[in-house]
Amino acid sequence: MTRSGTALLLLACALSARAAPVKTGVLRWGGDSAGGAPFVFQDPKDLAKTVGFEVDLAEALAAELGLKALFVQNQWDSLVPGLKRGDYDVVLNGLEITEDRKAEVEFSEPYYLTYEALTVRKNSDDIAALADLKGRRAGTLKGALAERLLARIAGVAVVGYDTQTMLYDDLALGRIDAVLLDHPAAVYYAIDPRLKNLPGRFGRMAYGAAIRKGDAQLLARVNAALARLMKSGRLREIYERWGIWNPVMAAAFVDDHPERRAEASAYAGYLAARGVRLGWRAKLAKYAGYVPLLAKGAVTTVELSLLAMGIAVVLGLALALMKLYGPMPVSALATVYVEVIRGSPLLIQLFLIFYGLPTLGIKLQPFTAAVLGLALNYGAYEAEVYRAGIQSIPHAQMEAAFALGMTRWQALRHIIIPQALRVVLPPTTNDFIALLKDSSLVSVITMVELTRVYGQLAGSTYDYMGIGILTALMYVLIGLPFVRLSRWAEARLAVERRPRIS
Amino acid sequence: MLVAKGLCKTFHGRQVLRGVDFEAGPGELIVIVGRSGCGKSTLLRCLNGLELFDEGSIRFGNLVLDGGRDDRKIRALRANFGMVFQSFNLFPHLDLLGNLVAAPMIVKGMSRKQAEAIALPLLEKVGLTGHARHYPGQMSGGQQQRAAIARALAMSPTVMLYDEPTSALDPWLVDEVFDVMRKLNAEGMTQIVVTHETRFAREVAREIVFMEDGGVVEKGAPEQIFNRPRDPRTIKYMSRFAA
Ligand SMILES: Nc1ncnc2c1ncn2[C@@H]1O[C@H](COP(=O)(O)OP(=O)(O)OP(=O)(O)O)[C@@H](O)[C@H]1O
Ligand SMILES: [Mg+2]
Repeated sequence: MTRSGTALLLLACALSARAAPVKTGVLRWGGDSAGGAPFVFQDPKDLAKTVGFEVDLAEALAAELGLKALFVQNQWDSLVPGLKRGDYDVVLNGLEITEDRKAEVEFSEPYYLTYEALTVRKNSDDIAALADLKGRRAGTLKGALAERLLARIAGVAVVGYDTQTMLYDDLALGRIDAVLLDHPAAVYYAIDPRLKNLPGRFGRMAYGAAIRKGDAQLLARVNAALARLMKSGRLREIYERWGIWNPVMAAAFVDDHPERRAEASAYAGYLAARGVRLGWRAKLAKYAGYVPLLAKGAVTTVELSLLAMGIAVVLGLALALMKLYGPMPVSALATVYVEVIRGSPLLIQLFLIFYGLPTLGIKLQPFTAAVLGLALNYGAYEAEVYRAGIQSIPHAQMEAAFALGMTRWQALRHIIIPQALRVVLPPTTNDFIALLKDSSLVSVITMVELTRVYGQLAGSTYDYMGIGILTALMYVLIGLPFVRLSRWAEARLAVERRPRIS
Repeated sequence: MLVAKGLCKTFHGRQVLRGVDFEAGPGELIVIVGRSGCGKSTLLRCLNGLELFDEGSIRFGNLVLDGGRDDRKIRALRANFGMVFQSFNLFPHLDLLGNLVAAPMIVKGMSRKQAEAIALPLLEKVGLTGHARHYPGQMSGGQQQRAAIARALAMSPTVMLYDEPTSALDPWLVDEVFDVMRKLNAEGMTQIVVTHETRFAREVAREIVFMEDGGVVEKGAPEQIFNRPRDPRTIKYMSRFAA
């Protein structure tokens, strides 16, 4: 980023610090409930509930500060940008303290220390250390520290995954030979009886609470609160309940009470929930139970898509007219817009609108930003569709309108565009169906829509297949009425194809 | 009433009109003939401002147009003309009545009721009373062309321009269109017609204008032009035509 950009960013941060947590009585903390157990995840027993050791930590921390904890959902990759935007004041979600991140945000003292753990199949006796991975396939999560550790070992084929479930499933299936991942994740996901966790500890990771730069007061208070939680043994109790207290922590906390104080009750509950095998009746009932949650996401998807498409249609038509009939600078501008927007990824456009615009002082709500992003993007596609549609109407129609005394605008509005709309109805419907599915991208800017709900449900129930099929079906169902509507409109409008009268 | 003087028009360096003089008086029916590409359509389109000309002038009543791109003036001139095209060019997304009321409503700001009060008698005049709710695609070419004439008449023009109005029609549909034009002629409408139909030209035209290579070669009464042409080029054209 340029220097002035950084200055603006700092300014924006300073401005957004207005809503100081002390004043509101609420500690807004950011995390991703689809990030996985045991950090922040949805309770497999009650999907409406967000649980995890960091949820407990956030509550303890807030209580210590005399505040109420308020969880704000955001995609894990976007947690830091969201913090900078001021959507929440603290990030507590396995955010490792690294030099790169320190340039962007402040970190509290570490609240949890861990390491990478190596998991293999029970029958593979020849892997005990990282060096043994030479010539084998090792899996890990994309972007994890483990990915960098593996990359340093010569001769290892590193395979990056998106979810822990798939990672350990593939290990059990033999598609990969080992998994290197944060120890807590190994504890929670390497539970297939065919797998075993090796005792070795690789690397060292420290998770810290991220706080906006310039929020020095909050940082100091969080650090003090963490120290008190550590001293009182409350922190250790949380980790023990979740079954992730480890020797590294013990050493760092200089804990002189080696005996276990709390049962790993949360961990046991988790294992119990995962171990349940269901009959088909119970399974159906379970899926039926997901429908309301998915339907809620679907409503957001539909609202978003309809609004975005409405704007895209108007924008596209305006751009097409500018391109076709505008004077040179106007038509050139429209052309540049279409090419730039069409030529660049929607994902990046959404990022720029949501996380980039605040540096210019424009802070949009997630829903507004999502609609705007989709509309601006699809407007460019619609522009080309409508340009082709308008050009498909014979020039003679324009001439006839002129000959009757119409101005160019009157001819376009009453004669050309109504005919062009009939031509573009099918491709526009097509684009709408595409937009419906592309709308899933807006989860990167904290919107919880259908695909996001799917991610959360699948992530917390470990059922990617069943819920995946259910979600795909819902998309089809949403799209169908619009396809029908378009067919109906097409048939009604197709006066040109009515039978000849004698 | 309508006087064009020295009209010149160049398309991409090719001169299509070379100083055309043209005149039409009230109630006259003038037929323009000539080989394909000699500039008949271009002349017609210049007369109502669909095409800009490079040199010369058009005078209609008090209005004088001398080239240039004065949109208001062009549209003021155009308001006096109705135009009928070879390919009808009805608006396919509107029914017949819709085609007729569109321009009065859009251009003149009439209410639908006012516009229909004008349109319905015109439909009757061209013999399409029962077709008000039919769409262009449902009708024969002859019906469509008659509708196109009615559509142009709905704007109450003083002069009607026809560019080969029957060339796209099956031979047995030609007369129904000419019948409408005969009727208008009897009512005193000024009409300028590009057509290859000699029979019609001989019968109703007051004057025949023969063009070649962007210029008017000879003009006169039908009987003179068809039977006793003077200019050798006219003689050559007519001899071929007769054969
Ligand atoms: N828009 C245009 N651009 C370039 N050349 C044109 C254009 N319109 C007409 N011309 C040319 O001008 C010449 C005269 O055309 P015009 O249509 O007036 O002839 P015409 O006498 O009506 O012929 P036809 O009997 O084939 O209709 C032709 O050579 C034609 O190719
Ligand atoms: Mg022609």
